[in-house]
Amino acid sequence: MSYLGTIVTSVFASNALLTYGLGSVPEPGPSRPGSLASALALVCVNALASVFLWGVHSLVLYPLGLASLDVLIFTLLAVPILKFLSRAASLSGKGLLSRVGAQADDLVIGSLVFGVALISSRSGYTLPEALTASFASGMGYWLASCLLESIHERLELSDVPGPFKGSPAMLMSAGLIALAFMGIDAAFIQGMAG
Amino acid sequence: MREGRDGFVPNPILAGLVGICPLIAASRNLAVGVVYGIGAALCAIALAAIVPLLRSVISDRFQVPVMLALSSALALAYGFCVQIYSPAIAADLWIYLPLLTVSGLSLSTLRRSSSPSRFSPDGKSRLGAVAIESLMFFVTAAFVGALREIIGLATLTLPSPGMLPERVTIADFAPLRILVSPSGGFILLAFLIAAYRALIHTGGRNLQ
Repeated sequence: MSYLGTIVTSVFASNALLTYGLGSVPEPGPSRPGSLASALALVCVNALASVFLWGVHSLVLYPLGLASLDVLIFTLLAVPILKFLSRAASLSGKGLLSRVGAQADDLVIGSLVFGVALISSRSGYTLPEALTASFASGMGYWLASCLLESIHERLELSDVPGPFKGSPAMLMSAGLIALAFMGIDAAFIQGMAG
Repeated sequence: MREGRDGFVPNPILAGLVGICPLIAASRNLAVGVVYGIGAALCAIALAAIVPLLRSVISDRFQVPVMLALSSALALAYGFCVQIYSPAIAADLWIYLPLLTVSGLSLSTLRRSSSPSRFSPDGKSRLGAVAIESLMFFVTAAFVGALREIIGLATLTLPSPGMLPERVTIADFAPLRILVSPSGGFILLAFLIAAYRALIHTGGRNLQ
C-alpha cells in the first residue's frame, strides 16, 4: 500500500476511534479536542509510542520468539519514558509546548496510545509505514473528535427525545460518521485516481 | 456506584459508559463478547484484590508503573489462556486481549484502589463494588455480542473450545449485516442505552 493509501485508510476506513473503538467518544468539558495543542499531542504521542513498540517488537522480541510480550515491555519501558517526556514538556513553561505536554500526559495511559502502537507493530508495517500509520491514526482520532464535538454543540440546541439526550445521541452520530468513513480507503483513492 | 432504594444497582456500562468503545469494536459475536467480558471482569477483580496488598510495600513514586505492569501481566496471562482454549477466538480478539491492560474497567479499578481505605465513601467494600461492576460488564459484553450476531447475521457463535467455535444458524440470510460492523455497534448501543434509560425512568415513576 502506498503512503497516501496508508494515510487515507488510517484516517478514515480504519479510524482509531470509530473503527477500532480506541479512546472514547468525547464528552463535553474543558478539554477542547479541536485545539492545535490537542492535535499535536495526539500525533506526537502516537508516533513516539508506535516507533518504540515497533522497534521493540520487530528488532528484539520477534527474533527471540517473544512477540506476545510486547504489551508488557511497552508498559514497563515506553510508558515511563513517554510520561517523563510529556511532563518535561508541560513544565517547560513555553506556551504551545507546555499545552502539548499537558495534553500528552493525559493521553499516555489510555487505550488510544496502546492500541495504535499495537496495531502499528502487529500489522507487518516497515518502520516508515508504522510511523505514517500512527501519525495518520492520531489525525484520524482528532478529526473524529472534532466532528463529534461540533455535532454535540448542534445537538444541544436540537429537540432530541429524552432517552436519547447526551451519550446515546453522540453514539448514534459516531455510528453514522463511522458508516460514512468506512467507504473512504486506499481502494477508493485508487478508483478516484483512475 | 449508586444503589437505588429497591436494591437495584445501575449498570455502570450503560449508565456510566465505562469501557464502552473497545467493547463496541470487540464484541461482534457471542463468543467474542463472552471471552472479552470475562477477561475484563477477571482482570478488574484481580487488580482490586492485589493492588491494596501492594500499596503498603511499594513507594508512591513507583505505584503507577507497577500497577500498570501488573495489569498488563494479567491481560497477558488471560491472553495465553484464551489462545490455548480457542485460537480462533483469540485471533478474533486480536489487539483487544492485550488492550485489557488499559480497559475502562481496569483503569477505573486502579483509580478506585488508589485510596488507602478498603471501603468506598458509602461504606461498601471496594472489592465487592468492583465485582458487581465487572459482572455487569461481562453481562453487557455478552448481551451486545449476542444481539449484534443474532440481528446482524442470524447466527450464534458459541464460546466452545478448539480451532473452530460452534456456530448455530438461525436463518439462511443475514437480516442486518451492518450491525456486526463498528458503525452498527455504535448505533445498537445508542438504542440500548436509550432503552435502558427509558426503563429506569419508568421504573422510578412506578416506585414513586
